[in-house]
Amino acid sequence: MKTKLGALLVALTLMLGMAVSAGAQGAIDEIEYPKLNEIKTPDIKQVVLDNGLRLYLLEDHALPLVRASLRVNTGSYLDPPNKVGLASMTSDLLRIGGTEKWTSDEIDEMLEGVGASVETGMDVESASASMNVLTEYTDMGLEVLAQVLRYPVFDDEKMNLAITQAKSGISRRNEDPYDMTRREWVKKLYGGSSPYARQSEYATIDAISRDDLVAFHSMCYRPENVQMAIYGDIDPDAIVEKINAHFGDWERGTQSILPPPDVPRHCASPQVYVIHKPDLQQATVRMGHIGGLVSDPDYADRIVMNAILGGGFGSRILDVVRVQMGLAYVAGGRVISNYTHPGYFFLYAQTSNASAVTAARAMIEQIGRMHTDPPTEAEMAKGKDGYLNSFVFNFDQKGEVMNRLMTYDFHGMPENFLQLEKQAVERVTPEAVVKTAKANLFPDSLLVVISGNTEEFEESVEALGFGIPDTIDVTIPKPAAELTINEEAIARGSEILARAAEAHGGEGNLKKVEAIRTNSTVTVLMGGQSFPVTVEKLEVPPNQHRSVVNMMGRQIFDVRDGEKGWQTGQTGLLEDAGAEALAEADKDLKRELLHILQHVDDPYYRAVFAGSEEFGGVAVDWVALVYDDGEEICRLAVAAESHQIVCQKYWGNSFMGEGMLEHLVQDVMETEGVILPKSVEVRKDGEKIMTVETTERAFNVAIPADAFAKPEI
Amino acid sequence: MRRRLLWQLIVAVAVALSTAQAFAFDFSKLEDSVTEFSLDNGLKFIVMERHDAPVVSLITWADVGACQDPLEYTGIAHMLEHMAFKGTKTLGATDIDAELEAMDAEDVAWEAYNTERKKGPLADPDRVEELKAKFDAAVTVAEEFGSLNVINGLLEKHGGVAINAGTSKDYTAYQVELPSNKLELWMAIESDRFTNPVFRTMYTEREVIAEERKQVLEDNPIMRALTSLQSTAFEAHPYQVPVIGHMSDIRNYSRQAVQAHFDKYYGPTNLVIAIVGDVDPKHVKKLAEKYFADLKHRPKPPPLATIEPEQQGEKRAYLQDPAQPLFLAAYHVPGVTHPDWPAVDAIMDYLGGGRSAPLYERLVKDEQLAADVGMQWWPGNKYPCLAIVYAMLTPGSENSALEEVTLAEFDRLREDLLPSEEVEKIKARAKAGYINGLTNNLGMADALARYQTYFGDWREVLRELDRINALTPEDIQRVAREYFVETNRTIVHLNTTQG
Repeated sequence: MKTKLGALLVALTLMLGMAVSAGAQGAIDEIEYPKLNEIKTPDIKQVVLDNGLRLYLLEDHALPLVRASLRVNTGSYLDPPNKVGLASMTSDLLRIGGTEKWTSDEIDEMLEGVGASVETGMDVESASASMNVLTEYTDMGLEVLAQVLRYPVFDDEKMNLAITQAKSGISRRNEDPYDMTRREWVKKLYGGSSPYARQSEYATIDAISRDDLVAFHSMCYRPENVQMAIYGDIDPDAIVEKINAHFGDWERGTQSILPPPDVPRHCASPQVYVIHKPDLQQATVRMGHIGGLVSDPDYADRIVMNAILGGGFGSRILDVVRVQMGLAYVAGGRVISNYTHPGYFFLYAQTSNASAVTAARAMIEQIGRMHTDPPTEAEMAKGKDGYLNSFVFNFDQKGEVMNRLMTYDFHGMPENFLQLEKQAVERVTPEAVVKTAKANLFPDSLLVVISGNTEEFEESVEALGFGIPDTIDVTIPKPAAELTINEEAIARGSEILARAAEAHGGEGNLKKVEAIRTNSTVTVLMGGQSFPVTVEKLEVPPNQHRSVVNMMGRQIFDVRDGEKGWQTGQTGLLEDAGAEALAEADKDLKRELLHILQHVDDPYYRAVFAGSEEFGGVAVDWVALVYDDGEEICRLAVAAESHQIVCQKYWGNSFMGEGMLEHLVQDVMETEGVILPKSVEVRKDGEKIMTVETTERAFNVAIPADAFAKPEI
Repeated sequence: MRRRLLWQLIVAVAVALSTAQAFAFDFSKLEDSVTEFSLDNGLKFIVMERHDAPVVSLITWADVGACQDPLEYTGIAHMLEHMAFKGTKTLGATDIDAELEAMDAEDVAWEAYNTERKKGPLADPDRVEELKAKFDAAVTVAEEFGSLNVINGLLEKHGGVAINAGTSKDYTAYQVELPSNKLELWMAIESDRFTNPVFRTMYTEREVIAEERKQVLEDNPIMRALTSLQSTAFEAHPYQVPVIGHMSDIRNYSRQAVQAHFDKYYGPTNLVIAIVGDVDPKHVKKLAEKYFADLKHRPKPPPLATIEPEQQGEKRAYLQDPAQPLFLAAYHVPGVTHPDWPAVDAIMDYLGGGRSAPLYERLVKDEQLAADVGMQWWPGNKYPCLAIVYAMLTPGSENSALEEVTLAEFDRLREDLLPSEEVEKIKARAKAGYINGLTNNLGMADALARYQTYFGDWREVLRELDRINALTPEDIQRVAREYFVETNRTIVHLNTTQG
């Protein structure tokens, strides 16, 4: 009803907004406020134990409570790519997996019997632990804390419980539309396999072993990585003694911890995605792009800008989308600045499916307005006075004060950073807000994700002008069926593969192939952009090949002749291929479809039947190719009707890092009676990363004499 | 079994220790820090001094919740809460006389359109369209006046945080935390807000509420299941309807209906104001008299008459839903002011509170049927309500298996007397929880206003521990046998739609 009037009303209110404040609330403006009572800055003592554990102590006897808050230098960014969820599961099991002295059930009873708590948690770039006890249970609380952090036993049964709980979480992860949209948006922003975006899957949870937990704990949970704040009803000297008794003989670790990876701070061309979920009554719109660091010089300007654009009531987004247009109950946004890597800027709104595009457009307009319309007096009052006047609330909760101090200390920031931030906010002008908006908000480089029942969208998402939206498939990858390797499964797998060899040309034709020339056009997709590449490849299996990639006028070589090889390195210079690269090439060959099919009667693998399912609209049988030691080479999906291979998947390396790679065959071509893929879509962890279009394939071609010699550059 | 014995030993030692050291927290000191007074118009203030930091938490508590919503206007208490942020005859007004006139025209147009629309199949489509056009035009005119967000804007500018309001089945509460020197600002705004409110953008706001309903209820599987539970369990009491109301009722709201609700339930005798923080009660009283004296006295509305009849037998609802499976079991129990409440509360804590609770041990740890389980009251507790078990099933688990294990725990509770050390643990947890609650000014303000409204005396908040400490294993068994029985039970299974 109001949507058409939206823009008009915005303009109107802006005019009225300026006219209003004078007369109406005169009485309020005349109130004289007494001076604020002094903000008592808490007197925090710092002590470092001999083993490097840093202590922060605050005495406060108002209530008979003792609390501890710990920060540990670790994080889920350390998860190996095939074991996403490891850090988090380690943290869970510290608390629920039992310790050398007590089972976890005993710990539960002890704590809950007296209303105490000890908890552990894992974040992307840090871990936490906490304790909360009545004063009389301080000793018990500290001992539990020490047991949990130092002597976990990772009980098998409790590990099973943690696995079940993690899987339950995965199964429910699309049930909160806001969270689902946030997650997919962040994956598009940093890349699906970035430590700042990735998520655990059934497969990555299943890959975690108890040994992994033990190793992760032993690497990270070390005194030099721990900061412990302890506050409340304590005597500082006595508590240091107690902590020393429980933590003083904790040995320093031996492994250094890699810092979190950096992220390029650049904005790509606009991208728009939709998630179609027909059961949703509402659409969730999320948009934004890469952001900045806490240490940026205009950090304070961004605080004020943030409050004006997306920070609650009175912000431009909520005012327009909720108050003026009545499109949403929640709408807002933030500029998130991080300590170690660029954060991001985002706006969001949850609106009816019908008005998804209307809301998105209104939000985009407001980002643009930050460049052109300086903040009004009322907006500066909200953004700047609001920050300054509410400054006192940075000090009213002791726990918050302690955690802030630990964070600053960890990142080597001045203890008075908050005071400096306040002084900087005091200096922010309307001009500075516009300047920072121009430097930090890019309405032409937005990454937009809209979820909802797209069939009810009144306007097409294309109308936003960011191109045809790509669809994000949020289907949760099914837990991989447990592979049972027995005679029956091998017999069935071998039979399926034999039929596939028949369907791809038959033994006679396949075995004739010796030298192969393949030319293809590859489209690489990265950060919302696509790069065309051509590839020329000449192969004489098993150990001669020459592959030349032509990318933007440059040639990248990968040549092998027996035990010698050369590759273009990251510097652009030709490097000798080491043993590792040659082994990798051997592994690649073993995954070549042609190579697999040529060896169905004298296989270097065991073909194990791994279940049937509906895949991309056709019924398929999965066959896992497994070495004698049980390591998988890859899995193949063989169509039940045509017997042709429609998908190959394996854990491997790509230009986007390690992950689960899927080659989906879109089209095939015949060469001398042999049928092989023509068009292939490659996905990594479910995300499309490239397409391969074979332009030429020839067999048993003449090989030039110097084909596999060291390339001349 | 041996392990269980071991824990009991540990706990017994811990409990013994706690009594030996006889921690004495001085509750009289807490009581002394509270000052109460009422204005001539009946408005009650409760002020608690806390001088740790120069901040103050303020709550206006209206003794009206969704239970007071009239037929055809379910959710209107919540709508009124939204409208209370839209300003007053001065706050946010540009040309108040013209604005009120335009709003009258808007209301008249709405009435005409709504009356025709509601005829349903018998409505004249042309007439509906014509009346809708007139109404839309009237809305456009009325909404050109005034400025929104003045109340929040002022509070934020002066450093207000935690600015919020909430409507439940039992009450409506408006809260903010301010630097303590801004007390007078709050007095000026809050008094005007409940003396001279103007329900601006009333008809646009209904759409905001419609979106809120989709977000918090329709697109939220747990809320879908809970809504189904309450409509199944209750036949007469307004607890059967969700706070946010029915979608058709939301689209039926008119400014008159909101005004009528306001006039009936927002008189000074039906409000309580709780203030906790760095303030001087004498100064608070002076300001209260200056700003709130204009609120016209109105008699307190009578208590709710409807009483839920006794349930005659077990009820069940089986839901097919796109979401992963959920389990709910509910028993009718008395409300918070009933003498049996402390035992009901203790049972919920014993069975469902924490990782050592029997339901957690059996369903999560032993059988791994649920990823999480707990107990709580629902959907309010001022009136006789439900004590519910909620569980999120693990992948592949069946509701029937989970139900069997859950119900067996209630059987045990009725049959076996709880060991007294278990009751001591409940009391120890209550004490620790209570003391932790005292760290939070806003939480204290909430408790003072809540107990004043429910019990008629805020001091009951200080007596809560006494009530729990008086419990015996026999009390708990008697209450378990009276309320936690099959005929008094409602069960909901939410199962995932196949295909």
